[in-house]
Amino acid sequence: MPPSDLNGYHGAYLRVDVSTGQAERVPLPEKVLRAFLGGVGLGAWIVLQEGAAKADPLSTEAPLAFVFSPLVGSPLTTSAKFAVVGKSPLTQRFNDSLASSQFALAGKRCGVDALVLVGQAESPSILLIDEDEIRLEPAEDLWGETIPTAEKRLRKVWGLAYQFAVIGPAGERQVRFATISHDGRHAGRGGHGAVLGSKRLKAVAVRGAQRCTWAYPQELAQFAKELSAKSWGPATAKYRELGTMANLLVFNRLQALPTRNFQRSQFAEAVELSPEHLSATRQKTRDSCAACTIGCEHIYALKEDDSPGVRLEYENVFALGPLCGVSDPQTVLECSRICDELGLDTISAGGTIAFAMECAERGWLDIPWLRFGNAEALPRALQSMVTNDELGQLLRQGSRRMAGMIGHDSIDFAPQVKGLEIPGYEPRALQSMALGFAVGSRGADHNRSGAYEADFSEKVDRLNLRPEDVSHAVESENRAAILDSLILCKFLRGTLSDFYAESAEMLRLVTGWEIGPAELQETARRIVNVKKRFNMDAGWETGEDSLPARFFEDQLPGVAHSSFTPDRFRELVQAYYAERGWRKDGRLTEDQALAISMAESCNP
Amino acid sequence: MHTRVICRMPMTVHVEFFGIPRLRAGIAATQCQGTSLGEVLQELAERFPGLANDCFQGNRLRDAFAANLNGNRFVSDPATPLTRQDHLLIMSADAGG
Repeated sequence: MPPSDLNGYHGAYLRVDVSTGQAERVPLPEKVLRAFLGGVGLGAWIVLQEGAAKADPLSTEAPLAFVFSPLVGSPLTTSAKFAVVGKSPLTQRFNDSLASSQFALAGKRCGVDALVLVGQAESPSILLIDEDEIRLEPAEDLWGETIPTAEKRLRKVWGLAYQFAVIGPAGERQVRFATISHDGRHAGRGGHGAVLGSKRLKAVAVRGAQRCTWAYPQELAQFAKELSAKSWGPATAKYRELGTMANLLVFNRLQALPTRNFQRSQFAEAVELSPEHLSATRQKTRDSCAACTIGCEHIYALKEDDSPGVRLEYENVFALGPLCGVSDPQTVLECSRICDELGLDTISAGGTIAFAMECAERGWLDIPWLRFGNAEALPRALQSMVTNDELGQLLRQGSRRMAGMIGHDSIDFAPQVKGLEIPGYEPRALQSMALGFAVGSRGADHNRSGAYEADFSEKVDRLNLRPEDVSHAVESENRAAILDSLILCKFLRGTLSDFYAESAEMLRLVTGWEIGPAELQETARRIVNVKKRFNMDAGWETGEDSLPARFFEDQLPGVAHSSFTPDRFRELVQAYYAERGWRKDGRLTEDQALAISMAESCNP
Repeated sequence: MHTRVICRMPMTVHVEFFGIPRLRAGIAATQCQGTSLGEVLQELAERFPGLANDCFQGNRLRDAFAANLNGNRFVSDPATPLTRQDHLLIMSADAGG
C-alpha cells in the first residue's frame, strides 16, 4: 500500500466484500479527515457514503465499519480504542459502539483508518486481514462457541500477533442487542454483533506493521507524559479504586437508581451489590485496556474456585440487579458472565427482561417463573435468548419490538428510546439526562450524552429542568462527539482543565494541523449533525425524540415533583433543537446539511 | 432603637460519605457541628486527614467531588447555611457509568 503523507492517518479505508473476499482501498481526503477526525465522526461519514442509512442492517449490502482514529498508536493514555459504526438492527437508526485495546492498535497497523465490511460469507468464516493479504477462513467449528472459548481457540490457531473482534452465540443468532467483543471488552450497544453475525463472520482478525508518523513526536511524548500523570490524580480515583459501580449507592441515595423496570428509583437491597460490599466479601483484581493509565476494570471472583472473574460495571449491575429486582450478588455476577460469554449487551438484556417481568406480572405473558426478584429467572431468561424457545424469540427482539408483539399498552412502559434500552439513570430524577436520552442519535444513551453531569451539579434543578438549561445537554454531546472521534476514554475528561484547547493540542501534535479550540467546537457540532443526517435518511421523525409514556404519567414513589408532562418535555426538546440551530421540527437546516455535503463532495 | 442580634448556634449535621470519600474517611456516616458547609468541611478535615488530603481544598471540595444537601440540591459555596438535621452527602462528582 502506498505510504500516506499525512501524520496520524493512513488516508484510506479498506472496503471488504465478504461475499467475494475482494477488497478495495478507498482514499480518505485530508479534508474529510479534518472534518470528522476518526472514530465515531469519521465512521458516521463513511457509513453514510456507503449507503447504510437506507439499508436493512441485517441485509447483505449493509456496511459495518471498524474505525480507528488519529490518536491510536500514539503515547496518549486511553487512546487505544476503536469504534464500530453502522445502522442498528435494534433501533434502525445510527449506531456506534466503542471498544478498546490491542485490536485498535493492530487494526490501524494494517495501514488503513477504517475497515468497512459488506456482503455475506457463504458459510461461517473468519475474516483475516494481514495488511495487504485479506482472506476468509472457515469457522464452522467455532460457530456456536462462546466468546472466551472462540477467542482462546483463535489465538491458538492463528497466534498472538493477530487481534480478534469476535461474536458469541447471540451475534450468530442475530439477537438485536448482540455485542462484538475484543479481549473481554465489548462494543456493546445497538446490536452490531448481530450485523457481523448476519455476514456469517465469527471474527475479524487483524495484524499489521504499518505505523503512522506524528507531526511533533517529542512534544507529543511530553504532552502524553503529563496527561498520564494527571490521569493518576483525584479526577479518576473513583474509576481506579472502585470502578463505575461506585455510582450504585449514590444513585440509590438520590432516588435515581432505576428499579423494577423504572417503577421505583430506590432499591432496598442496593448495598448487597455495592463495590464496598463485594470487595469485602470476594476476591477482586484490576485490569486496564492497552495504553491506559487509569485501570477502571474491577474483576470480581465468581466463586471460591479457579473460575475466571467477572468484570463488573455499574450498568450491568444496575440492569441485572435492581432493574430486575434481583439482589443476590452471585446471580448478578453469574448473569454478567453469561452476557459476556454469549455476547449480549447487558443494558438491553436486563432492560428487556425487566420489561418482560412486568408484562408477566400484569398477566400479559403466561410465564409464572418470570417475576421481579426471582434470581433463578434471570439466567434462564438470558440463556433463552440464544435458543429457539418462545420466550427467547420474544426477548431477543428488544423491548420495543416485544411490546409490539405483546400489545395492550405495554409500549408505554417499554424502557427504551428509539428502541435502545435506557441505561441506569432514572429520567424523572435526572432530567438533563432525560433530555439527552430523548434526543440522542442512537437512542437512550449515557455515553454519547453525559448530561447527567449537569444533574449532579448546581447548574440545574435535576427535578425541574427548564428550557434555558438545555445548553448543558448540548455541550455534553459536543464534548462526547470529540472524545469518541479522537478517540479518548471519557474517564479522562475530568483531567482536562480546558477541554477544547487540550484536545486541539493533542490533535495538532499528532497531525500537524494548526487547529484551535474554535475549529474543534465546530467539528463537534458537525459530527453531531452527520449522525442526525444519517437518521434523517433512515426515516427519523420528530416524535422519536421523546420518552415512554410511563415517565410522563407515573410519579416516582417518594420523590416530589418528579413527573414531566409531555408538553413541558416537548418544550425542552424544542429548546434543544434551537440551541443546536436545527429547524423547529428537529431537522438540519440547508446550511448544516450543506456543511456535510461539502465534505461529501471530496468522496472520490 | 434596639438591634436584634441573632446568634447562629452550632447544630448537628448528618454527614454521609459515598465512594472515594467513604474510603478516605473509613466510615459511611458521621455527625458534625456547624452552621455552614465550610464549617462542617473544616471539622471533617480535622477528624479525617486522609479525606481532607484527597478530597478537600481548604474549606471547599476539590473539583472531583461534590456535596449534596438532603438528596436534593448540590452545593459548593462554603457559606451555604446548614440547618438542624440536614443531611450532607459527600461523593465523587463524576457520575459516569
